[in-house]
Amino acid sequence: LSEIKKIIKGCLAGDRRDQELLYRRHSAKLYAVCLQYSGNDEEARDILQEGFIKIFENLHHYKHEGSFEGWMRRITVNTALEKFRSRHNLYRVDDIDQIREPDSEPDNQDYSGLEANDLLGIIRELPPKYRVVFNLYAIEGYSHKEISKMVNISEGTSKSNLSRARVILQRRVGSYTGIKKRVANG
Amino acid sequence: MDERGANIDVVFRNGLKDYEVLPPPEVWDNIHPVVKTNLRPLLILRTAAAVAVLMSVSFLAYRLTREIPSEIINNVSALDVATIPAIIKHDPVVSVSENRKRNNLLLISRNDAVANSGTIFEPVADEVITSPDIALIQKSGSLSPENSRLLKGPNIPSVNLTQNTAFQTEDFTDLYIQDDNLKKNSERWSIAALATPTYNSSFNSGKDELSKQLDASEQNIVSYSGGVAFSFKVNRRFSVQSGLFYSSVGQMIDGINSFGGFQKYDNTKGDRNFEVLTSSGTIYTNNGDVFLLADGPAERISTSFTNDVFDPVKASLQYINNNLRQNFSYLELPVILRYKFVDKTVDLNLIGGLSYNLLVDNSVYTIVDGIKYSVGKTEGLNSVSISSSLGMGMEYNISDKLSLNLEPTFRYYINRFNQLTGSNVHPYSFGIFSGVSYKF
Repeated sequence: LSEIKKIIKGCLAGDRRDQELLYRRHSAKLYAVCLQYSGNDEEARDILQEGFIKIFENLHHYKHEGSFEGWMRRITVNTALEKFRSRHNLYRVDDIDQIREPDSEPDNQDYSGLEANDLLGIIRELPPKYRVVFNLYAIEGYSHKEISKMVNISEGTSKSNLSRARVILQRRVGSYTGIKKRVANG
Repeated sequence: MDERGANIDVVFRNGLKDYEVLPPPEVWDNIHPVVKTNLRPLLILRTAAAVAVLMSVSFLAYRLTREIPSEIINNVSALDVATIPAIIKHDPVVSVSENRKRNNLLLISRNDAVANSGTIFEPVADEVITSPDIALIQKSGSLSPENSRLLKGPNIPSVNLTQNTAFQTEDFTDLYIQDDNLKKNSERWSIAALATPTYNSSFNSGKDELSKQLDASEQNIVSYSGGVAFSFKVNRRFSVQSGLFYSSVGQMIDGINSFGGFQKYDNTKGDRNFEVLTSSGTIYTNNGDVFLLADGPAERISTSFTNDVFDPVKASLQYINNNLRQNFSYLELPVILRYKFVDKTVDLNLIGGLSYNLLVDNSVYTIVDGIKYSVGKTEGLNSVSISSSLGMGMEYNISDKLSLNLEPTFRYYINRFNQLTGSNVHPYSFGIFSGVSYKF
């Protein structure tokens, strides 16, 4: 803990080595977050870059209360949301006409054998609007009320998008595990 | 199904927990120069603040150390009385001690008939001979034994001019006393009311191409600033000024069409129906009745109500205007140092310092028939900013107490105007403050 405080202090003083050290220590984890929220690598790199700039610029706001990694993750997620809002016209029709939720498939599949890299690939194939809501709800743990404020949609739309995302993910995970099993069995 | 504990959610939550992917090396290469650049203003800001504080403290400390204790002023023994008669006999010039140097010189010039030399009479203590005493001498026109009591005031009670028989009325016919500086020193404080229209613009050194494009479509509008300033004269040249000012800055964003009457078509709560990118930050609507449509690139407005979803013309919304106006108002607390380099009827001052600005109003509106129509606010603005000022102050003294002021001033905002990534907007303004000041 004292070491991270020292690094933060160095960063605040403009020490290049401490800045780089902070980046080297946390960039891999945060880049994984960026990949979760982006549809392509270029967008993920942009999010990481802008996120770290914000982290460095706002380090003086960090009061050493709570997890520093969590604080950086929140900044990264917010940066991803900003990027998303600026690039996509969210929920155009869906927002106005509440679309009927799709039927969920029975969630009794075997997900064993799926690695983090597989999961990341599957989640990135989701349509952007579903990916954002799923990430915020299932991974970050935000409520629909919070998500509605964060991405400027109604709670109903958030629930609807989450439901759709789950259905798509279940289907893709199912087909993915099936393929992997077939490959494994020769 | 348990909403939060859905199986598929858990699979992804646990599967991606602590997952790491090494980013490409060029990401850090792009981050570092930006971070380094952004750290500089903070350093400059701190240095400037430290210099300003040090200078202010130094001048105050200097002044305090030069104050003469009252007991010395009233102490008769402080005056080297024994030397007075002989010196006065020869000296056309009477001055106070070196403490005042030439600034506070009590100068008595006279005909050479009295003396040829230009030596100086220097009492030990400052202000031993006060100007009223000398003024009485001047009025009497003589320093005969009868009115020699005039120099026997509380300051110099033991001076006996009966020995100075060489002094006659004619010796003082052109007696001149320059004691303006003493008068001025007694008026250390002044209060001024100043106001100006200001021209605002900004430097945008952000690398973001989008922010540069946005900047190009925005026009600066003339704003205003005004307030009350208090000034304390540290010495004849330097003054420290503070006060409270209110200033309003803003800009006009062209190409954003606004329509009224959207409320009946809006099924949401009405907040943030539209977001408009500007160089000063993102405008978001908080008026559910307003509908916005961009003239140019559609991506400038982020909304769920895009043209393919809702057509304001078909819906017969009321067209209002094709531009938006952003207004930002600040309460300013300046700390200004003034240096008077010309001290005449018209004084000239160099003015420089810092101002702490608190954002008190942030509004976006459009105008229809001369009436403001509220649209929303700009987000991402820094609520506190610091600006530096540099200017030239002209002060025309109407009387001893009253002056007219004219102060062309350039102001530059040291810290970033907003927190937008990629944008590095530093506004600046120019105004000619005018007003009246009163010394007391």
